[in-house]
Amino acid sequence: MIDRRILKGFDWSFLAAVVVLSLIGVMTIYSATRPMLETQQPSFYVRQLNWIMLSLVVFFLAVSIDYMWFIRSAYVLYIIGVLLLIIVLVAGRRGMGAQRWIDLGFLSFQPSEFFKIFIVLTLSRYLSRMRNGGRLGIKELSKILAGLFILPAVLILKQPDLGTMLMVLFIFASMILTYGIRKKILMTVLVIGLIATPFAGKFLWGGLKDYQKNRIIAFIDPQADPQGIGYHITQSKVSIGAGGFWGKGYTKGTQGPYRFLPEHHTDFIFSIFSEEWGFMGSFLLFVLYLFIIWKGFDTARNARDMEGTYLALGVTYMFTFYFIINIGMTVGLMPVVGIPLPLMSYGGTALLSNFLALSIIENVRIRRFASYY
Amino acid sequence: MINNKKRRGKTERAETRKLWDENPVKIPLQKSRKRAVVLVTVILFCFAAIFLRLINLMVVDHDKLSQRAAQQYIKEKVLTPQRGVIWDRRMRELATNIETDSLFAVPTQIKDTRTLSSEIGPIIKVSTREIDGILSKKKKKAFAWLARRMDLDTSRKLSQLKERFNEGEIGFVKEPKRCYPKGEIASHILGFSNIDDHGIAGLELVYNDYLKGEVESVTVGVDAHGRSLARDIKEAMPGNNIILTIDEGLQYIVERELSAAMEQWHAKAVTAIMMDPMTGEILALANRPTYDPNYPAASGPEYKRNRAITDIYEPGSTMKSILACAALEEKVVSLRNMFDVSKGTITVGGKTIHDVHKHEILSFQEVIQKSSNVGAVKIGQRLGAEKYYKYIKKFGFGDKTGIDFPGEVKGIARNVKSWSGTSLAAMSIGQEIGMTPLQMLRAYSAIANGGSLMKPYILSDIISPSGKAIKKVVPVVERRVISRATSDKMKEILKTVVEEGGTAEQASIRGNLVAGKTGTAQIFDPKIGRYSREKFASSFVGFVPADNPRIALIVVVFEPKGATYGGVVAAPVFKNIIEHTFAYLDVPMEKDENRIVLVSTAE
Repeated sequence: MIDRRILKGFDWSFLAAVVVLSLIGVMTIYSATRPMLETQQPSFYVRQLNWIMLSLVVFFLAVSIDYMWFIRSAYVLYIIGVLLLIIVLVAGRRGMGAQRWIDLGFLSFQPSEFFKIFIVLTLSRYLSRMRNGGRLGIKELSKILAGLFILPAVLILKQPDLGTMLMVLFIFASMILTYGIRKKILMTVLVIGLIATPFAGKFLWGGLKDYQKNRIIAFIDPQADPQGIGYHITQSKVSIGAGGFWGKGYTKGTQGPYRFLPEHHTDFIFSIFSEEWGFMGSFLLFVLYLFIIWKGFDTARNARDMEGTYLALGVTYMFTFYFIINIGMTVGLMPVVGIPLPLMSYGGTALLSNFLALSIIENVRIRRFASYY
Repeated sequence: MINNKKRRGKTERAETRKLWDENPVKIPLQKSRKRAVVLVTVILFCFAAIFLRLINLMVVDHDKLSQRAAQQYIKEKVLTPQRGVIWDRRMRELATNIETDSLFAVPTQIKDTRTLSSEIGPIIKVSTREIDGILSKKKKKAFAWLARRMDLDTSRKLSQLKERFNEGEIGFVKEPKRCYPKGEIASHILGFSNIDDHGIAGLELVYNDYLKGEVESVTVGVDAHGRSLARDIKEAMPGNNIILTIDEGLQYIVERELSAAMEQWHAKAVTAIMMDPMTGEILALANRPTYDPNYPAASGPEYKRNRAITDIYEPGSTMKSILACAALEEKVVSLRNMFDVSKGTITVGGKTIHDVHKHEILSFQEVIQKSSNVGAVKIGQRLGAEKYYKYIKKFGFGDKTGIDFPGEVKGIARNVKSWSGTSLAAMSIGQEIGMTPLQMLRAYSAIANGGSLMKPYILSDIISPSGKAIKKVVPVVERRVISRATSDKMKEILKTVVEEGGTAEQASIRGNLVAGKTGTAQIFDPKIGRYSREKFASSFVGFVPADNPRIALIVVVFEPKGATYGGVVAAPVFKNIIEHTFAYLDVPMEKDENRIVLVSTAE
């Protein structure tokens, strides 16, 4: 399996961008969690470093296996994923008002983080083997939604983890749209959606938890209650704006260590980064992310087979959505949903799942010419 | 995994190929690409939106937002630093600090302004309306002073009341308050500082930069919960301590004797300066009237004037010593020269100068001893205007002494070119020339120490709070003005002034030799445009022990009532101060029984 030609095709620049971004993440975590009252630096950054090492090992291991093996195991993995989601609901550890973690004693992880990858695998397998002239009809669509989407979506929503559920929805939607969908269906869905929203609005609104409602209110009008529900987004904007063009300089930021910005080392790490590195730093950061995204699409275009294409597309979509929604949330363009910034936010499971997902792009990439099997 | 692969290598490959072959149709991919392009466009659109937003936040709104960020973590706290202590030369505290309570309000927390102001107002003696004004002006601020450095009674009353208010509405801060434990003692030297601990008079002003703490208000990082983050707090650095050349004991003696003289002569003012003639160190300096620096607002500016260096007077006969020094140094006279003053008057340039007592023929020495005006004018004529002026300047008249004290004046010593026909004669007897008591004392110190004009100073050391020496002042010789021989001759002459037949028998003291000179000068009254007949400045300046001078002292009594002569008014003050000084310093008596007899008759 480990062929010299494969090694030759290994895209080191891609991996370098991934590692650099995660190291920038460690740096920013260090700065964000600088203690002001104690002298002891919290160990977040060390733990994140350890996770990066582990993730790198997993990355290489995963790349060494042909992605076809993953495609073949997709349904099994999907079922394992669903089972894990059920286990979380039954026996998961609660934290921050949600039940998202499975505690194995020596480590705990969020199954939903990995489930997103399984979704990509499953959809890639399913879509790449559809042969109906390129457009999904109502039958196929309802089959996909009923068979693959509804159950995990409900399970994730139960945790509750609205953010991840939305991501799963986006992955489904983007991949299905890429495959193609009958125009009639598309239009119908859009029209029904537009008409139904006002009527269903009340129902949907009532279905939201209070904190979710508050997040939407805060998004629409952050000044409604700047000390309360609007606090988070206001502080995030203050952090970013305070950075200015050149930034305050590394470890010169005040919003994180002084604890004005909650979740400063996880979901809102970009605010801390931009406070210290300014517009120029953020620009360079975006370049790195865009580089990864571009590599993803490029891989999809040049993939050996349809499976490869869908895998690369699915992972890239997922990565991109995470990025856009996280940044959009920190700059106040989107309501606050608990979505971490891929590679940079503190969190072991998320980091590992990101590395795993990106390893799929590398996997497809190094095997793009390997049509000799 | 790899092992696994190897084991089932063949089937695996077959499987993979099968998967691959199963999907030969490429059409969906072609179309998918187009759709992917649409999605990529959407993604790029999102990027662009985020980018514009970043520009908006980081460039357009940067100032506003960064101000906001700074505002919320920087809270200004006033941590008043301890002002440096002022010690005398024996490390006794002349100015120090005591802890007092200051009351502040937190306007953002106050719910009922009216209740607060009406309850607190009467206690801190501020009107309700005034408090309302302060609070409404700083409505959005988290801090406003209500009363600072309250006395113990007020803060006790307030702390009882405090429980009636909500948590965080008002609070107390400990603030050091400047305190002068000795009250009026050395008040003109020390000066005082204002409510913000800024020195505004005296040494408090001159050395304010050293005395004040390095940080008067500091910024403190506050986290989202309002906790001060200890790591960023800069403690208020206490100011440097200073040590003066002043001796509190001597200062006390001088102050007490000045008070007595003030009362006895119903004078307008009295000034005395005591100096070490060898070094120029000021040992004591006092004025009457005076004030208490603890309550500077209670006294008017008249009381706060440090006349010793800010007031000009015409010295009168004390100037004759300067004239004599010049004449001896220039060798225009010798001690044996005789002057006929039998007429008792002399007319110069149409102006007649009288002697107080008629004398026959006086030696040079006796002219000084008996303070003959006619004799002095004759000496002056022999010396000449040019030479006399040269010595006036040499002795430092008309120039600041450079003492480290605010408000010193130069005095008036007109250039010889602008002298009139009577000027030489007038100046020979110490009129038509103005000086500060300090300038005169310095000139006599030069006579005492062998001829060196010293720079007077009050500050001896500046010491950091940790005890490190920051500044150490050493004596400075400005210049040599007369030779040692002249100095010795002058000492002998000045000794005779307090002996029998001199003008200042009342300045002689038991057991030690005094050298000095009386002065009685009419005060020029600008209202009537000539010298007043009632207003005099009576002075005595001298040094002890005469042959080995350690103390130089000048006493000037302005406008005494009942008597005018320096020998009568100022000499006894001088004597009293010196006697107590010797007792205080434990100076042994020199053997001179004769003097004891003299003193007893004098008293």
